Amino acid sequence: MFQQFKLAQGVKLYVRPTEQFKTISISFKWKQQITEQNAAIRSVLANILQYSNNVYTSNAEFRKRLDDLYGAVLYFDTTKKGNYHILSLNAETVNDAYLSNEKVVDEVFSLLSTVIFEPLMKNGKFVDSIVKREKEQVIERIQSMYDDKTRYAQQRLLENIRPNHPASISANGTVSTVQQITNEQLVEMYNTILSSDELSIYVVGDVNVEAIKEKMDKHFRFSSRTPVQEPSTVDIKQASHEKDFLHEIQDMKQGKLHIAYHTPINFYSEDFPIMQMTNGIFGGFAHSKIFMNVREKESMAYYASSSYSSLYGLVFVFAGIDANLQEKAVLLIDEQLKVMQAGDISDLEINQTRSMLINQLKEALDSARAQIEIYDQYKELNEAFTVEEWIEKWSKVSKEQIQQMASKIEKEFVYFLSGKEGADNE
Amino acid sequence: MNETYFKQLEETLYHEQLPNGLNVYILPKKGFSKTFVTFTTKYGSIDREFIPIGKEEPVIVPDGIAHFLEHKMFEKEEGDVFQKFSEKGASANAFTSFTKTTYLFSSTDHVLENTKTLLDFVQQPYFTEQTVEKEKGIIAQEITMYDDQPDWRLYFGAIENMYKEHPVKIDIAGTIESINQITADHLYECYHTFYHPSNMVVFVVGAVDPNQMMNFIKEDQAAKSFEEPQEIKRFFPTEQNSVAYSERSLQMDVQKPKVIFGIKSNNATISGNEMLNFELSMQVAIELIFGRTSAFYQDVYDKGLVDESYSADFSMEQGYGFTMIGSDSPNPETLVKSIKQTILDNTNEWNFSDEDLKRITRKKIGYFLRALNSIEYIANQFTRYSFNEMNLFDVVPALESLTMEQVKNAFETLKNEETHTIFTIVPFEKKGQ
Repeated sequence: MFQQFKLAQGVKLYVRPTEQFKTISISFKWKQQITEQNAAIRSVLANILQYSNNVYTSNAEFRKRLDDLYGAVLYFDTTKKGNYHILSLNAETVNDAYLSNEKVVDEVFSLLSTVIFEPLMKNGKFVDSIVKREKEQVIERIQSMYDDKTRYAQQRLLENIRPNHPASISANGTVSTVQQITNEQLVEMYNTILSSDELSIYVVGDVNVEAIKEKMDKHFRFSSRTPVQEPSTVDIKQASHEKDFLHEIQDMKQGKLHIAYHTPINFYSEDFPIMQMTNGIFGGFAHSKIFMNVREKESMAYYASSSYSSLYGLVFVFAGIDANLQEKAVLLIDEQLKVMQAGDISDLEINQTRSMLINQLKEALDSARAQIEIYDQYKELNEAFTVEEWIEKWSKVSKEQIQQMASKIEKEFVYFLSGKEGADNE
Repeated sequence: MNETYFKQLEETLYHEQLPNGLNVYILPKKGFSKTFVTFTTKYGSIDREFIPIGKEEPVIVPDGIAHFLEHKMFEKEEGDVFQKFSEKGASANAFTSFTKTTYLFSSTDHVLENTKTLLDFVQQPYFTEQTVEKEKGIIAQEITMYDDQPDWRLYFGAIENMYKEHPVKIDIAGTIESINQITADHLYECYHTFYHPSNMVVFVVGAVDPNQMMNFIKEDQAAKSFEEPQEIKRFFPTEQNSVAYSERSLQMDVQKPKVIFGIKSNNATISGNEMLNFELSMQVAIELIFGRTSAFYQDVYDKGLVDESYSADFSMEQGYGFTMIGSDSPNPETLVKSIKQTILDNTNEWNFSDEDLKRITRKKIGYFLRALNSIEYIANQFTRYSFNEMNLFDVVPALESLTMEQVKNAFETLKNEETHTIFTIVPFEKKGQ
């Protein structure tokens, strides 16, 4: 899918020339082990680098420059993947082919170089006023999660089942870790990113591979680094927790039911495609057992689904229900897993799920950003990733394998967030 | 079949209006593996008063019925339509807005079979009292879910502040009380009035052969019988120019206050090119004065009055329109004061150069070209433009020919204080301070 080139030790360039898009998408992804503190520092650093730099010293100047480049998009984001924290710098620019006599693409590469290598610093430090404000911005982003009850409930669930574990560490860090960040720590992290983070660079669009390689040579100089290798398989052992149910109350109307299950199969397991099929039938799609029973048959919910978090070996079920119906909903959801364990899996369900997994993957590849994200993950299994390879894997999955897989899924924890108990739903 | 080539964008659009009145548009996209088909009726939450087809007296139907109807279309005597789409690897969905209801699927395979499923399920209603009753629980949970979302409550609070009579102020899903009044008869009445092919558009975009697809849809439609097309009579109350409430607030369980400064637009009767030019002029004016490169934004960001949730937008349909500037803010009053002062300052003295206009126009052209990578964006926007007698692919030339005079005139429609409103959501303990 992508052609790859080693730019330095620990630094790889992946290019995918395609006429599919009218723009060129670029991503730099720096990877490092995740800790709460690292996540916090990297999030604030991302904000600082996005605010201004040594050439465009104010945010307005920087944004005006992007506007002039036909509204080129340039932004940082922070995510996590298994045991790693990923700091990404993403850009998207209009292809010169659609503009008359313009050299926008080269300018965007040059700007990316400025953003990475020429931050706004005084006496070897970032500007204190910017550090202070961007710390505030990250804190507010973390706090805004509280206003989104679904995200909040999911975070509370994770904190209860996997405390101090990559699965529950937020890619933004926590309010208290962000508050404690110093200017020196930010500078140190900036230097670490340049010198020791594993770096993958992606370019997708109607591009000439040689020309992109030349642009990389012209605008960037990356030093060799030996990234710390984390085990790619995440510790998925069932953590011990004293309780397996928690009901929390907030001032709200709906009940948010979040259930966690443990599965021994993760992204790197040979049986991963079987686990994908199993989750699809359980609650992954609109034809699934959870959707058909909890929503369509019992009219208990507007949304009811399951999701497989393959890097952590976890399955989550989410449903928005009447606050008084929590026990009934849990029983009904338990029942869906039980019937799968008993072998109540139809050929129709298997065919539907396979078709949907195939369609999902093919559709996702119609977006340049998704091509980068999917390849970035799947290349760890096989650098020659193809859609056909996965279609074949899903096609081989049998009913018996799904039944056996369902039997390996164990319920770990039920988290319920709702308004006052027994209160009317108005 | 009509064929239009848009040279600058290298896109060819195919169009035909079928004998039953249905408009079909097809846009083939090279390099894509999926096809996206939307089937849209010009019928949304604001269409609550109308003369039902074949009758003479207007009726008022319960709030939330267009959205209820959308839900119920998926259930048939033989089961759930999602099942059928899943079998052919298609993800299906639907959504209801103020002015339209769209049914859609996307798939990378079996596109014609999935198109057939889409056309059939939207054109073969099946409602019984029992299935209608069953849906009430599901939609009640949907309404409750939105009730807990502060940003949705903020948006609707601002609209309710602006409109005294116009049904845009009514939540698209209705209320639990209003949906409880809905019967199967109501659904059939609305269905037969608004789902006539002459009130609908099919838009196909993606990996598709235009001739084959057009013939397929034509044959399907020719085999089905419909009543004679009839003009739909919809009624809207007269709306005053000034806002209904100049300031209101709501308490919710939020971390920080949220505010929208809204400006009601009274220029909402236009359509076609006039609408396109006004809409783009307003968007450019707002970007110049309230966008992220503006002096205003730099000032309020540096003072910590706004955060990453900040936005400033203008949107309109026939009959209503509004500008909204909003953010989570520790101090909504100071932020609003600054917005008002900025409007006043720019009314008194317009300080923008042609270079500024050019920069914003470029940014918007770039944004548009990026959006054209998304076939979902094209499908959704194209239909909206066509219902308002505009063409999505005219956006780039219209932006290129925009003058400072047009932008300035559009901006001047924002200055009347009677059209200004403030809606805030405040954390519980801060109420009354």
